[in-house]
Amino acid sequence: MAAEFQQQAIALAKQQSVLGWLTAAREQGQSAWQSHAWPTRKTEAWRYTSLLPVENEQWQLSDAASDALPQTALSELIEIDAYRLVFVNGQLNAELSSELPATLVSFADADADQQAVIQQHLNQVADQQTHLFTALSTSLLQQGVLLHLSKNQRLEKPVYVAHINDKANAKVTNARLLIVLESGAEAQVVEHFFSTDDQDRGWINAVTECSVGANASLRHHRINLESEQALHTGSVHVALAESARFNGFTLANGSRLKRIDYHIKHLGSGSDLQLNGIYLPRHKQRVDYHTCVEHVVPHCTTTEVFRGVIADSAKAVFNGRIHIHQDAQKTLAEMSNRNLLTSDQAQVNTKPELEIYADDVRCAHGATVSQLNDEALFYMTSRGISEAEARVMLSFGFVNELVEGVELEALKQWLRPRIAHMFGQTDQLTRHIIHE
Amino acid sequence: MLTIKDLCASVEDKEIIRQLSLEVKPGEIHAIMGPNGAGKSTLGNVLSGRPGYEATSGTIDFKGLDLLDMDPEIRAREGLFLAFQYPVEIPGVSNMELLKAAVDARRSHTGQPELSAIDFMKMAREASKAVDLDQSFLKRGVNEGFSGGEKKRNEIMQMMLMEPSLCILDETDSGLDIDALQVVARGVNAMRSPDRSFIVVTHYQRLLDFIVPDYVHVLANGRIVKSGDKSLALELEAKGYSWLEDEVA
Amino acid sequence: MSEQVEQLIRKEYAAGFHTDIESETLPPGLNEDVIRFISAKKNEPEWMLEWRLKAYKIWLTMEEPEWAHVHYPEIDFQSISYFSAPKSYEDRPKSLDEVDPDLIETYNKLGIPLHEQEMLAGVAVDAVFDSVSVVTTYRAKLEEAGVIFCPISEAVHRFPDLVKKYLGSVVPQRDNYYSALNCAVFSDGSFVYIPKGVRCPMELSTYFRINEMNTGQFERTLIIADEGSHVSYLEGCTAPQRDENQLHAAVVELIALDNAEIKYSTVQNWYPGDENGKGGIYNFVTKRGICHTRAKISWTQVETGSAVTWKYPSCILKGDHSIGEFYSVALTNNHQQADTGTKMIHLGKNTKSTIISKGISAGKSQNAYRGLVRMGSSAAGARNYTQCDSLLIGDRCGAHTFPYIESAHPSAIVEHEATTSKVSDDQMFLCQQRGLDPEKAVSMIVNGFCREVFKQLPMEFAVEAGKLLEVSLEGSVG
Repeated sequence: MAAEFQQQAIALAKQQSVLGWLTAAREQGQSAWQSHAWPTRKTEAWRYTSLLPVENEQWQLSDAASDALPQTALSELIEIDAYRLVFVNGQLNAELSSELPATLVSFADADADQQAVIQQHLNQVADQQTHLFTALSTSLLQQGVLLHLSKNQRLEKPVYVAHINDKANAKVTNARLLIVLESGAEAQVVEHFFSTDDQDRGWINAVTECSVGANASLRHHRINLESEQALHTGSVHVALAESARFNGFTLANGSRLKRIDYHIKHLGSGSDLQLNGIYLPRHKQRVDYHTCVEHVVPHCTTTEVFRGVIADSAKAVFNGRIHIHQDAQKTLAEMSNRNLLTSDQAQVNTKPELEIYADDVRCAHGATVSQLNDEALFYMTSRGISEAEARVMLSFGFVNELVEGVELEALKQWLRPRIAHMFGQTDQLTRHIIHE
Repeated sequence: MLTIKDLCASVEDKEIIRQLSLEVKPGEIHAIMGPNGAGKSTLGNVLSGRPGYEATSGTIDFKGLDLLDMDPEIRAREGLFLAFQYPVEIPGVSNMELLKAAVDARRSHTGQPELSAIDFMKMAREASKAVDLDQSFLKRGVNEGFSGGEKKRNEIMQMMLMEPSLCILDETDSGLDIDALQVVARGVNAMRSPDRSFIVVTHYQRLLDFIVPDYVHVLANGRIVKSGDKSLALELEAKGYSWLEDEVA
Repeated sequence: MSEQVEQLIRKEYAAGFHTDIESETLPPGLNEDVIRFISAKKNEPEWMLEWRLKAYKIWLTMEEPEWAHVHYPEIDFQSISYFSAPKSYEDRPKSLDEVDPDLIETYNKLGIPLHEQEMLAGVAVDAVFDSVSVVTTYRAKLEEAGVIFCPISEAVHRFPDLVKKYLGSVVPQRDNYYSALNCAVFSDGSFVYIPKGVRCPMELSTYFRINEMNTGQFERTLIIADEGSHVSYLEGCTAPQRDENQLHAAVVELIALDNAEIKYSTVQNWYPGDENGKGGIYNFVTKRGICHTRAKISWTQVETGSAVTWKYPSCILKGDHSIGEFYSVALTNNHQQADTGTKMIHLGKNTKSTIISKGISAGKSQNAYRGLVRMGSSAAGARNYTQCDSLLIGDRCGAHTFPYIESAHPSAIVEHEATTSKVSDDQMFLCQQRGLDPEKAVSMIVNGFCREVFKQLPMEFAVEAGKLLEVSLEGSVG
């Protein structure tokens, strides 16, 4: 069955029209993809998430963008003053995209120097031998975006990459973002995935690679709000050089299959990672976050906070791993995962892991699973607030701290009402949490 | 304002309040005193409709309405306010959010227009000043990391903003030092008016030096065993409760 | 400081002697005939043999688990001898006076003189030497209270109904690779039955020892606490010092019926191998208990031995309001590897579990906590609290935490906390500045680190555990 799907993907790759200079990379990707053993429920990394939605479908490559621009697309884009690249069904849509600085380019438009940068950095941070769907991404590599900032360069505006699916059919879309920050460079990036069609049954496989140079700083945001029927397999790979900073934020609803991996390596001492995540599956949605933070060198710090509110008969998985290598003395690493189940059928499986081979470190992790606090509910109803509104306010309160931590003000303002509406579908229920 | 007739109430099938009757008229302050375990806090909880506190018989009339027939939030919107003995912490929900939602709910229930955000902010700032809480508390999570005294003052601040007609203070004085106690009392006294009543539940007579009651009731074993004026409180302070319990037995 | 630590670590295994007793040992190898031999040797009824053969057939279809965070060379199950008994077993001693003096001497060396224990501690001891239960002291006194405490080989004959009903009821034959093997070849172990409403008048205790070369030990323990009863059971283990690895694959099943309480304590000091990682016991053990309504099972373990440990004492909280507890200290040094923890399976309403795990890694050892907390969809109001702390001593060891939390009920509350730290220089300095030598300081800090667990142990075990830790650690601050 499974190996069959691996073959199917190779057949799809053969149908693609390809940029010639990417051929070698694709071939490497295809051999890595085929050498992977297809995961089963016994494969630890896929213990709680089934790949059947991928296996049980005859996939086709996504089409070129529709002629008519999706009307709703514009209104769903994040209102943010940014350099914007919009992909519709995997194809770059020039009309929806903005003017770009020289440092930001789609693979198709890359000049010779930029092609060299891409070839040099592609799959250097992401390991396609260990990440199954990264190998698939390279196998199908065609479209992609490069952000390359040279030494001490700083972008005026954030970079906003949006991926829109607007069709209700089983198409695979491959998304790839490569960020290379030379030493001292600074950037803010927002990646945003959504469907304009509720019945979108498409599958996006999205890989982001970030090479953050010495003393460079990257703020990265990944917003996953596809339709319930959509499939998403994605990963963010980050390598941090000396004193580099990565500040990550991720938000996802659930869908038939949604699996997002973060793999971050501290490769230079003094680097700092802050990673915050929110998952909000409801109805029958599934969402699965796997994070792995490797401390390879001394004196680095990690703070990771993930919170989930799981409603209806949704199911969430969080697997957070912190791995301290033998030389990574003086590491400070903390991880916290808290989950709120708001219905009898909701489920969560959480697995915070510490793997520590150095002794002079301070590491801690905590995980909790609970429901809305009865005391708090009563307290609020005793203040005249309806129980329904109190539930919405409490659910929002559970993740609010992480939303408040988003530094891009425009993104924060955009997020608040959308998150609120995932808890309460009417304005009546959300009006006290959506404010300026 | 409030008429309790022959109230019996139980918690987890255990009868705590037995045949209690009490009449509170507009503008009055009633102090309820009594030894530990007498049912003082139960009374506040039953009045506010806390789940698990069940009135098994008797009636409670609140401004002509059947109180026992109302959900907790409706009671609150009608103007019943309970200042909790142990206010819970609600991380993530800011004081301001909670208050705005609460005040909006009460105002729209009583047919008043909602306050604009600016007017509300102004009011909230004044209220926080009145109870000596820094404005930063408005932005913090509800009671999150507050000290005991700060929590109690926060309760009084909420009470001011909600402008209730019946205020129930459940051992608001417990754990407060004298300065904080005065702040609380000042807040309560400022709110006294001919159409607002108070039920002050306390274990200590000290509070009543600052909030002078019209009536003092002694609760023992789930019923009111003695009522009087403020001099009763002084008598209790001097003699303790045991003489009363003996008298009743 | 690290030199002192090194010295401390280098302390030798004190239980590593071997006793010369004439014994009867099967040649290495496993097939149906071996199982028939074991069964015949014990004069077992037909149903017991059938049960073993069934397990053997299941075992043949299974594969060794590989998911644990441990590495060891492949085990050749045909090179192990599956039965060894002191020869004098044939005329089994009726009382302590008849026990082979060499054997008594062995126990004395181990620090568990039977006489003394009898006299002073009032502990009833079932001693399992290699595969055979040698003697059960204090039997008469227990029988007065209606408590059955005997070798399981004897229980098969005397209490076949109880054995048939409960053997394999908590750990089924096909549960895992090692438990299946144990079902096929177990040679002896303890059987305990506490009747309704009886509070067992004394602590019950078993000592296990692997003596012969190339033998595996496959003991089987079955404890049934009937409604409203109470029992505390202690288990201790040692093995002689040998260059070859030896296999220990035990199964322990606990059944706590309504309102019953079982407290099961283990001090495990199997030979851990030498400082170069040569030799030592492979300790692959399955321990599990089931709690009926309002019952309670409490596992306490102090693990300092074995080359490789693979062990997850677990509780199935089936009955409403039942309670499971797991208190563990696992210390690894030199090349030891431990992958240990617990499983708390919450099925009943308002079930509660507590997990306190303290891992200490020194030398080049690897020490992993692996735990599962599962809140089933019927576990309304269930609660779990888990605290996992790791202490690192030296910079070449590893400490790992792999908790699995699965919740399918919104009113179930799970809290998990874990920390990893080292014995800090500041702590050491403060102790030293108050006049303590480094050894004392380390042992104090480590003992303090483990206090929550030690206080769960019965008194005489707590003392032993503290000493063991000191011996296993001596010299370990980097």
